[in-house]
Amino acid sequence: MAADSLADDSAKLQILKDALYDEIRQHGSETRLFSQKDLLDLNIIPNHNVLLLVRVVQGLTDDKLLVGTTNHHAGLAWRWRSREEAKKYTSLPNDETVLVYSIIDEAGADGIWNRTIKNKLNMHEAVVKNCIKFLETKGYIASMKNVEHPNKKMYIKATLRPSERATGGPWFTEGELDTAFIAELEGIVFEYIKTKSAYRGSLPHHTATPKLPKKGSIAGETRGTKRAATDISNDDTPATATTTSTAGRKPPTRAVFLPMPAGYKHYPTVAEIAKFIHDTGITNNTTLGEADIQQLVDVLTYDGLIEPVRVNRRKGFRVARATRQDTVPFHKRQKEREAGIIGLDQPLVPGAEPLSNGLTEAPCGRCPVFELCEEGGPVSPSNCVYFSQWLDLEDAPRVVAPNVAPPS
Amino acid sequence: MLVTKPMAELCSLLIDELHGELPSRIFATLLSKGRSTLPQLAQYTAMTARQLRHGLAVLLQHNLLYYHIDPGAEFAFYEANADHAYNLARTGKILEMVDTSFGAAAKDVMQSLLLSGQTRISDLVAAYQDKIDHANKAAALIGDDDDFGPEPTGVNGDPSGAKKPGLLVKSTAHLNSIICRLVEAEVIDVVHEKTFESSQDILKVVEKEVMDTYFPGGVKGNKAKIEVQGRIAEGLRKVRGESKSLKRKLEQNGSASKRRKLFAGIGMSNGVQDEEMDPALDPKQVIRINYERCLVDLRNRRLVQFATDMFGETTAYVYGVLLKLLTRDAPRCRPDPVMDAPGDDDDDENEKKWLGGVATEQILDSLKTSVDLSSGIGKADRRQISSRAAEMIEAHPPKKKALIAEAEVEGDASADEDEDDESSSEGSDNDSDFERPNGTNGVNGTNDTKVKFDESAAPKERRLDRPTQLRQHLLLLSDSTERFVRHCGPNEWTVDFEPVMGALREAELDSVIERVSGRQGLRLVRILRAKGKLDEKALPNVALMRKPELQQKMLEMQTNGFVHVQEVPRDVKADVKKSFFLWFCDIDRSLDRLLDTSYTTMVHCIQVLEALRQKEKDVLSTTRRSDVRGREKDTMRKEYYERYSRFLECERKLFAQVMRLDDLVSVLRDF
Repeated sequence: MAADSLADDSAKLQILKDALYDEIRQHGSETRLFSQKDLLDLNIIPNHNVLLLVRVVQGLTDDKLLVGTTNHHAGLAWRWRSREEAKKYTSLPNDETVLVYSIIDEAGADGIWNRTIKNKLNMHEAVVKNCIKFLETKGYIASMKNVEHPNKKMYIKATLRPSERATGGPWFTEGELDTAFIAELEGIVFEYIKTKSAYRGSLPHHTATPKLPKKGSIAGETRGTKRAATDISNDDTPATATTTSTAGRKPPTRAVFLPMPAGYKHYPTVAEIAKFIHDTGITNNTTLGEADIQQLVDVLTYDGLIEPVRVNRRKGFRVARATRQDTVPFHKRQKEREAGIIGLDQPLVPGAEPLSNGLTEAPCGRCPVFELCEEGGPVSPSNCVYFSQWLDLEDAPRVVAPNVAPPS
Repeated sequence: MLVTKPMAELCSLLIDELHGELPSRIFATLLSKGRSTLPQLAQYTAMTARQLRHGLAVLLQHNLLYYHIDPGAEFAFYEANADHAYNLARTGKILEMVDTSFGAAAKDVMQSLLLSGQTRISDLVAAYQDKIDHANKAAALIGDDDDFGPEPTGVNGDPSGAKKPGLLVKSTAHLNSIICRLVEAEVIDVVHEKTFESSQDILKVVEKEVMDTYFPGGVKGNKAKIEVQGRIAEGLRKVRGESKSLKRKLEQNGSASKRRKLFAGIGMSNGVQDEEMDPALDPKQVIRINYERCLVDLRNRRLVQFATDMFGETTAYVYGVLLKLLTRDAPRCRPDPVMDAPGDDDDDENEKKWLGGVATEQILDSLKTSVDLSSGIGKADRRQISSRAAEMIEAHPPKKKALIAEAEVEGDASADEDEDDESSSEGSDNDSDFERPNGTNGVNGTNDTKVKFDESAAPKERRLDRPTQLRQHLLLLSDSTERFVRHCGPNEWTVDFEPVMGALREAELDSVIERVSGRQGLRLVRILRAKGKLDEKALPNVALMRKPELQQKMLEMQTNGFVHVQEVPRDVKADVKKSFFLWFCDIDRSLDRLLDTSYTTMVHCIQVLEALRQKEKDVLSTTRRSDVRGREKDTMRKEYYERYSRFLECERKLFAQVMRLDDLVSVLRDF
């Protein structure tokens, strides 16, 4: 009789378990937490019998179908686990392995460091190692790399993909910041902003401009013709190359970018840039969200290549120093570099040549021993090699006996 | 001004360059020892009183000294005037500036003044009379102001003398008129007894005077304190005003305003106006160059250059005209914190004048007709332009935070009106555009446009476009992130120099950083500027840079003084491994360091030149012979002459470099 009622009871319990489990699954995702009250309110347990509920839940937990957690708001709570997952748990050979697996499971998409596992479980290293080995061969877990801690050995459930935080987002390839990819994309975004935010016009060639009063100081005047063919000798921007190649048929006007009038409403926004990148399909196996493009645009802003403009409520971006920009697209410049027109000694970066001032031009501005340089010291202005290079005095003039031709 | 070691070194080198070793040594001693009396100087320098007096006389003549005599004291105290000593490096630039804006003859006069220091007008007249007589008699070479040999004229940047077409100043009346014009422009002012007192001495004297006359019983209460401040400021202003006495006298003359009109034009023709109209100047007055005013003009030029870099020539030209009109009466670049304190209304009609705006028509009137205003700005369909955003008026100078808030409000108000704006012309009256309430718009806007067109259709067709084009340039300038121009009222424009100069300073710093640490270095610095202090771990993410590269760059920039680091321990033990490292960038500190670096670089340039002189001693000594001088090419042997010309070229380069560095120093310190 007793045995019969026990069997009857367990059968009843099994039915209740199944019913409760199915009902829970109907009511939320795997991450939802169910408190005791929630479970009672599901109306599966007759008469809100708490004792019965405890037994049912205990049974489900033993089957690894429910996971108990303590939530500091609601107290004890449970969330459900799929049957396949539960099967994995029940198929594990011993408790240690179950513990290790559950800890890796809990870590989710961020993964967990093997030393953290050891510390949390307070188990011997060899045991943990064995468990991990077993789980790995079973194909339940996989090792992964985290960009924030590239040297740590991390594990993750094999069914999950590492989170953005762990992989570092679209800018990382196999745990390394993909600088080449970023640089390429920066070039493209910059080119897009440049062409969209400045007017491609022409100015009369510098010599043909109406004679402006010599307003800028002496140095300013020469800077005005940065793109002119006359500057080839000391101009080290990529622009030089084409100016040299086209110098033969020098047009009376030169193509330049001109700033747009104030209040221009069509400066490209981040959303537009993102759409452009998406439409071109350059990034075929990486999807770039607006936030990613924003990051890229921010970097360009910090580089001083573009500047944010706010017209009414539209937050657009425009190229900085439009008139100084290279009118040849950047990718063409890169082709030229490949073809060898632009030598490797010249830098190839998007954007205009940086401004310069007296300090950056003098040898002292970039001198590695500037702090040590002093008259009377081991390095001094009077024996400065940089200065003599700068003044074209490399080959010291031969000493000739002083002599003067007689006055005629 | 703070005199740092490189600055002191530079000043004495400059004096050595222009006035010889004796004054330079005295000056250096004065800088290092502070104010001293003659016996003290004799002790420091181990020179005889006679030598010292010679040197001091030279220094005084060129306004490089302050002196102060306490009542009843036996000896005067001498003090170095480092400001003026530094100004010697600007000689060439000032001459060039005078040349472009006042003509070659004025430059000639300025050059004489620069060479001889402060001069009594009668002496100057006599010298020129001499010259004129000489020229009339001989009608040959002038060759007089090259007396100082190749060294001093080298600063001016051009080996003058030989190619001068003839006499630039034709008569004493002409000279008189030139001086009048320069005085009116405040480029020249009058030397008075207080000129040689240092500003601290003047302050002390004025303070004492105020206390003795108004507050014999001492100062009590806040109100009295404010009054004391006011009275002191007034007293100081009076002292400062003394040097303008000659200008005031000229202005009282009826002809002043008429001359002023001719003056205002950019391309004025010099010497055409009748010279009889200028009153004869008191021959006993002693005049000197007013560097403060010259700096204002130099600042204008620098800003124009900056605008050229940002926008292009045409816009920069417009900007130059605006600056010229705006600063016509500005006596100095930065208002003095004590003397020009805001709030007292009694004496600042002058200040008001140079802070006000300039109307579009005024700028239009001063533009050269040869300048094509249509160039330099991109063309956009009228529908693509939001005239509301472009024509936004900022009546008040920006207060850093408030600016953003204001822009926010503006954006809100106009966001829903974009469509309507599109229909209105760019030339529509911005006043109504601005104040128009949200609901009643379209009709109003088009009405304005009609009126405008009717008005401007009357004159020639050519004129119709020009004001609009001009406005476009001005709007472009005010739209920039650097805030070149502020649209301070309908058709009124002004420049807030402080933010613009701040932007320029930052641009200079940026260009140095970019040249030294590359674009990535600049990126990191600007991130820190935008975000404030940032943890080392947060940086790579923002900058999209690899961690090791970034750390290396940061260290490199730290040694260069561009960024600074702060270590914040996590707990009491202050374990280095656990500490936070916060990077930050202190612009002022970086700029100070940059300034000192510039001084040192200037010093190095001059020292390199000195070393070159030592190396080419034999060549240079021959050129000093009287039978060689002036005919170097004919008399010297070929390789000798080549060495000589090479040396001259190096000298020119080095002086040019000193001047370029001075551009930087002016931006960092004076403008």
